[in-house]
Amino acid sequence: MDAKLVNPFVDACTAVMPQIGFDTPKRTKIYLRDKNAVSRGVTVIVGFSKELRGNVVYNMDEDSAKFIASKMMMGMPVAEFDSMAQSAISELSNMLTAKAATNLTKLGLEVDISTPSLTVGKNFTFKITDAQYLTVDMDVGEGHVIELDIAVDHK
Amino acid sequence: MEKVKVMVVDDSKISRAMLSGHLAKTNFEVVAQAKDAAEAVQLYQETNPAIVTMDMNLPDADGIECTRRIRSIDSDAKIVMISAMKDVALVARGRAAGVSAFLQKPVNTNDLIDTLMILCQNKIGRVALMRESYAKAFVHAFQQGIFSMIGEHCDVELEVDESRFLTVQGIAVIIGLTGSPAGRAIFYMDSDTAMKFAAQMLGVEELTEDEASETIEEAANIIIGRSVSSINDIFKDKEMRITPPGTIFGDGIKIASLKLTTFKLSAKAKFGTIYVNVGFAEGE
Repeated sequence: MDAKLVNPFVDACTAVMPQIGFDTPKRTKIYLRDKNAVSRGVTVIVGFSKELRGNVVYNMDEDSAKFIASKMMMGMPVAEFDSMAQSAISELSNMLTAKAATNLTKLGLEVDISTPSLTVGKNFTFKITDAQYLTVDMDVGEGHVIELDIAVDHK
Repeated sequence: MEKVKVMVVDDSKISRAMLSGHLAKTNFEVVAQAKDAAEAVQLYQETNPAIVTMDMNLPDADGIECTRRIRSIDSDAKIVMISAMKDVALVARGRAAGVSAFLQKPVNTNDLIDTLMILCQNKIGRVALMRESYAKAFVHAFQQGIFSMIGEHCDVELEVDESRFLTVQGIAVIIGLTGSPAGRAIFYMDSDTAMKFAAQMLGVEELTEDEASETIEEAANIIIGRSVSSINDIFKDKEMRITPPGTIFGDGIKIASLKLTTFKLSAKAKFGTIYVNVGFAEGE
């Protein structure tokens, strides 16, 4: 897993999050993993293909998902992680990945992205590659973290 | 579902054969072929097609005159003009006569199908279009894939899935679809079925959970990959691709189906039921 391929995803976060009201998203951790990841509560998988193939996962706990969804909906209170809030998080994942795809194009790598698959629940693990992948924790502010799991296929 | 009836009007046998060929693999069925305007009017009344493709040059009248004659019998007739020339004057005259769309020869299959779909969308509906054009490709690939992998013939059932969540107990392999339409396909089954499926596919008695999950991933790749290539085969410019699999393990996994037109395919094997849930983005 080439570390320079992670930057387009991290940069997408720092560019997109301020647009929805999170002014200073910070990268707090970055590490290589090879074991299955564990869902924090709300997990969105977006695949990409073309000149670069892989998956990116946005993994967060349900409180953070509700908090982010609320902010995206102009502060509308989100008590339940209902279909409206799910749509918001799904849309955010789409925005982030689309932005990352634009950033990858600047590196000369054209990619198309799939629709996001949003999964709810804590009691499961997921695997996005047979090889190692990178995990980045983005602190978006007020104690809310989005974990990004980024896997690039080199086949 | 009933096929959508199309009449082809063209004086060239080759052109008629090419258009029929383009449509043969789709949900459109050429029910009539007319070589001139007189025959077109007669066959229109006999076969009542949903759509007519119209050549400009006909021996007894031009395509615009033929359009007028058909529209005088049926003012709702949907006519697509297909001609070598496509200039502003022709389009204006065609519109005035009631032509719904214009395409230039040689016709690109994708444009043709898209145009026909748009024209008859109200008649057959978006979900039916998705089912016929895309979901059916998954049914065939699923059936063939299962047979080639485990040597068992399973009938595949296809239904529209309107539930907001797909709930999975066991293993779910998510494969993204990129291109047009974008979407995602999920190959899933319960844990017990997964172990048996993988054992049968590998021809072994016992295997570890890791081996089973890798086998299931590979199976998903094969089935979804085949489905997408058969869609690409029909729609030359769609360039659909698949993303690498993301696999989820657990009980009561809930995967939301947001802004997707979703279909559920199920195949009952002797040892359990195997599912594919495929969703295509709305607004494509």
